[in-house]
Amino acid sequence: MNKKNEWLLDVLKLIGIVFLITVLGQIFKQYEFPETNIVVIYLLAVLLVARFTNGYTYGILSAILSIVCFNYFFTAPYHTLFVNDPSYLITFFIMLITSILTSALTTKEKLMTKEANDKGEETQILYNLSSKLSDAADLEAVLKVTVESISQLLQTSVGCIYVGEQKNPVYVQQIEDRQIHRTVTNVDEIVKTYTNLREEYLEDLDSFGFPVYGKEHLLAIIKIDLKVEIDCLKQKKKLLHSIIENVSMAMDRIEITIERVKDKEKMERESQRANLLRSISHDLRTPLSGIMGTSEMLMDMMDKKDPSQSLLQGIYQDADWLKSLVENILSLTRIQDGKVVIRKEMEAIEEVIGSAVSHIERVHPYREIQVEIPDEFCLVPMDARLIEQVIINLLDNAIKHTKPEENITISTYYTEKEVVVRVFDEGEGIAEEDLSNLFKIFYTSNTHLSDAKKGIGLGLTICETVIKAHGGTITGKNRTDSKGAEFTFTLPLKEGANHV
Amino acid sequence: MFKEKILVIEDDVQIQNFMVYTLENEGFEVKGTLNGKDGISCMIKENADLILLDLGLPDMDGMQVLHKIREWSDVPIIVVSARDLDKEKANALDDGADDYLTKPFSATELMARIRVALRHYYRMKPSETGKEDTTVYVNGSLKLDNGAHLAYKDGQKIHLTPLEYKLLLLFMKNPGKLLTYHTILKKIWGDGYGQDTQVLRSTMASTRRKIEKNPAKPEYIETEIGVGYRMKEYESKDFD
Repeated sequence: MNKKNEWLLDVLKLIGIVFLITVLGQIFKQYEFPETNIVVIYLLAVLLVARFTNGYTYGILSAILSIVCFNYFFTAPYHTLFVNDPSYLITFFIMLITSILTSALTTKEKLMTKEANDKGEETQILYNLSSKLSDAADLEAVLKVTVESISQLLQTSVGCIYVGEQKNPVYVQQIEDRQIHRTVTNVDEIVKTYTNLREEYLEDLDSFGFPVYGKEHLLAIIKIDLKVEIDCLKQKKKLLHSIIENVSMAMDRIEITIERVKDKEKMERESQRANLLRSISHDLRTPLSGIMGTSEMLMDMMDKKDPSQSLLQGIYQDADWLKSLVENILSLTRIQDGKVVIRKEMEAIEEVIGSAVSHIERVHPYREIQVEIPDEFCLVPMDARLIEQVIINLLDNAIKHTKPEENITISTYYTEKEVVVRVFDEGEGIAEEDLSNLFKIFYTSNTHLSDAKKGIGLGLTICETVIKAHGGTITGKNRTDSKGAEFTFTLPLKEGANHV
Repeated sequence: MFKEKILVIEDDVQIQNFMVYTLENEGFEVKGTLNGKDGISCMIKENADLILLDLGLPDMDGMQVLHKIREWSDVPIIVVSARDLDKEKANALDDGADDYLTKPFSATELMARIRVALRHYYRMKPSETGKEDTTVYVNGSLKLDNGAHLAYKDGQKIHLTPLEYKLLLLFMKNPGKLLTYHTILKKIWGDGYGQDTQVLRSTMASTRRKIEKNPAKPEYIETEIGVGYRMKEYESKDFD
């Protein structure tokens, strides 16, 4: 229905109602009812007109028309616009004011009712939308719901393109009752255009494009056909904004869900990897255990002077070497790339040192390690297993590079913020060219090490990785007070002092 | 001659051979089974004086075997496993295992653990009487007179706080045995302390400073990282 028709209809209503009332007045006059009744039914006419037409204008027009009619038909002299009795002028005046007020009140009340109805309708639309959106399990479902409800609201075809990060771009379009999926090619261009957009929408060849922004980035573009009625669009703008906001929230939610699922998958992969490592360690340890145990047993069974003794000794030592390699590789893979957070607990450094030293002395029964610890006692956050491995590696390293009669010492002390552990020996020291490469992976000094003392350069790398993961420092240098090498590492006393 | 019987439940044939040979060499009667079910039925039929139990068995989890056997028997069980996980160790010990050996281990280590477990087993039996314990415990140069509540080292009295005394007493009663943090906390501090090992570590540090020459090279109470502590067992020297 267009505007002109509406206007004409309102005028017809106005004339019709006043005409009917005038006829009724004539009947009243025939039966000689008092004139006041006629005045009252004209007021009724004004009220009816205000009720059934749009806007104030018709109400006021009807008030004037009513007075004219009353004057013309019902006051003497009849059928003229004159009055004999001047007191009628007051009657006209009061009638005019009363009818204008009545018409204004009625119209206002009507507008309020309409507004309330509109609001109710909007709330209903938004409610339906948000309940549908919260049922939507994926982004495509959100797009479908969005285009469906906007196209219903604006009575035109609407499309929506998803351009967010969690999924390939999708374009869903609603044309009348059908939904069409299209492919999008120029996503980058769209994202660029809309990300820099300053206006609230963009008009292009065939549509108005409204961007949907998420918490972090552009999520989608809602495209509304240019054929939409501009007035309708303007009227519903507020509602449209609320819809867009709802859609953005729904998309954000789904993006977060997708991200969570991805994170979970990643964690599962990590734990699968950890399981694989555990089973590898199991598989390697068991046969090593067999080799070491059997060779040990054979050594016991055989005469000490039997030449096979040294061969058996060789088997045992190689197996032992393999064993420590397995331990080292496991420690390394546990922390290096996996972003695995090391499990720190409050530990006593003296216990960890004690455990490492007793391990070393079991493997090298002919060596004695000097241990110096302070009287005071502090608990330090660390992964004790890994720190034990660090100390074992440092001591092992020291044993490799010293003669049996040369001292190896491990000492520790606390400063205000950290615990310092030093391992120093009286051995050959570190060659000048090795100093800068000490902690490089697979670097082995190629100086006078016999084959039996071989290492593959993993030991110190692990030390560095572990200490860094704890937020501490590690250094290696030659001693200044005597010959020999000195390795020092520190661990922060307080949690969270990492990355300083 | 009376021979103690040891049951070996281990699925790896090489390791089983090694253990069986070693043990027979040491004069034990040995029975080996390759899976949990056979192990349990062998225990039911023939009874054993000690069980060596691998945790990674083909037919069932070693922990299940442990629980099953613990339902009716308090025979010493030493768990043997290639899985070097502190938590698993602690769980096995808390659930009734007497000791835990991580593969690879040496024959000497194996024998030492077996001897401790057996000795412990025989000693425990008569002392479960509920009377007030006034035993004098001696280990190496350490002596604890539980009647007088006094501790001595090399014949010299040492001053321990009540907590330190209780801690040391617990270890003197269980020489050679690996006690988990959980067990120690429960026995000395009561259930409420749960997993708060910090208080235990501090008490241990102060006790060690009184009984050890060098607390970082303990002669008496050794640390098993992530699991607990074990008191080494010595020939007793009397300093009276």
